[in-house]
Amino acid sequence: MTDAGGQRAFVHYVVLPMVLLTVALLGGLRVTAADHGFLFVAPPLVTLVLAGLLTSLFVRGGLVQPAAWVRGDRPVLENVAHILTLAALFAASAQAFNSVLPEEGLLHWLFSFFFLWTLWNNQFSSFDPARLLRSLTVLFATAFALKHMLLAGLRPAEAGWMGRVGAALLQGASLGTLDIPVFAPATGYISFFTVVLYVAGLMLVPPAPGRDEVHRLLRAYERLGSEGRARLRDAIAEDEAGSEGAPQRRRLS
Amino acid sequence: MRESLFPGLGIVSTLAYGAVIAWLYLTAPRSLGEVATGARVAAGTYQVDAARFDAALRLFRAEQFRAARDEWGRADPARRDPRTQFYVAYAFYREGWGRLYKDDALYRQGIEAADRAISLSPAPLTVADPTLQMHTAAELRAELEKGTERRMDDLNPMKLLEPRK
Repeated sequence: MTDAGGQRAFVHYVVLPMVLLTVALLGGLRVTAADHGFLFVAPPLVTLVLAGLLTSLFVRGGLVQPAAWVRGDRPVLENVAHILTLAALFAASAQAFNSVLPEEGLLHWLFSFFFLWTLWNNQFSSFDPARLLRSLTVLFATAFALKHMLLAGLRPAEAGWMGRVGAALLQGASLGTLDIPVFAPATGYISFFTVVLYVAGLMLVPPAPGRDEVHRLLRAYERLGSEGRARLRDAIAEDEAGSEGAPQRRRLS
Repeated sequence: MRESLFPGLGIVSTLAYGAVIAWLYLTAPRSLGEVATGARVAAGTYQVDAARFDAALRLFRAEQFRAARDEWGRADPARRDPRTQFYVAYAFYREGWGRLYKDDALYRQGIEAADRAISLSPAPLTVADPTLQMHTAAELRAELEKGTERRMDDLNPMKLLEPRK
């Protein structure tokens, strides 16, 4: 087995699920401002809906080809590993949304609507994997900036006088439904890391893992001894000669 | 490592990591210390800090109930030891007990601690401490519950003579 083949398999079967599950872990993690304690926020129902829409977009955009991930002619272990990786991708997507959505109040629903509207419209657009990835990066970066930079700056306890006025105006305009939970600044850093890791995880996802079949055959060939390789080459040569001679024979007859 | 082993390794690591994440979200630890304590509980290696427990017991006997509860909290941070939870409940009882009235808030916290003690103990919990008048968690819980109830019997002046247990 070559080192490159082993590394590729290690990244595909071990590193990729770990990256996606780390996103699933950190996506709901907040650090409270009062005592700097951890707060694990389970994904709200709307994030599961958003993750479902995003998964559909992955399939439509060709970022994931389910038929190539789970196939009947593949060993059972590989199929199970792929199903778990796809489940981790779904969980990571839900938690990535959870990370950039405000936790409660009017803004939670405004952001959710913004995501739903964007993902729903994208269902009817034509995407290739690279374009879809760029689009998602911009989507998550925008939501991150709005939540953790703009809204976090409006926390009355920490903001300057302009921030306090802005927060008061927003509260008044939203009839008091604009609740901005106060978290420690570490929450923003965790969310940034989560979004970056999520995009990195998406970049690691191969659209069709079966395409490395040729590499797998090559590695199997390399494992054969010199005698086995020679016999295989002879067999291939015989096979090719047979397939080339068949039409000629047909023409002669 | 053979390449054919990677799918199996991936399955095992994904399931293990997924289980850890699910456990973290279910138990919701507040700090890395609580994560470590929770891991010890899950691994079955969790033990109460005996020195802190004894220190808390001395405070309890000196009628320093709040300090005793704090110390028991540090001795049993995961609240997994039935004996410690029994003493915590007893501390709530004694602090909340008054000749003229019972502190409902403290009694309710005492009931919660007694419930923990009862649910954590595989058999009916009995604490053989000669300085206490109640030795079972069930007895303590009943006494705490009685203290939170409002009855006509509360107007009986003879109740002023009832001793603290």
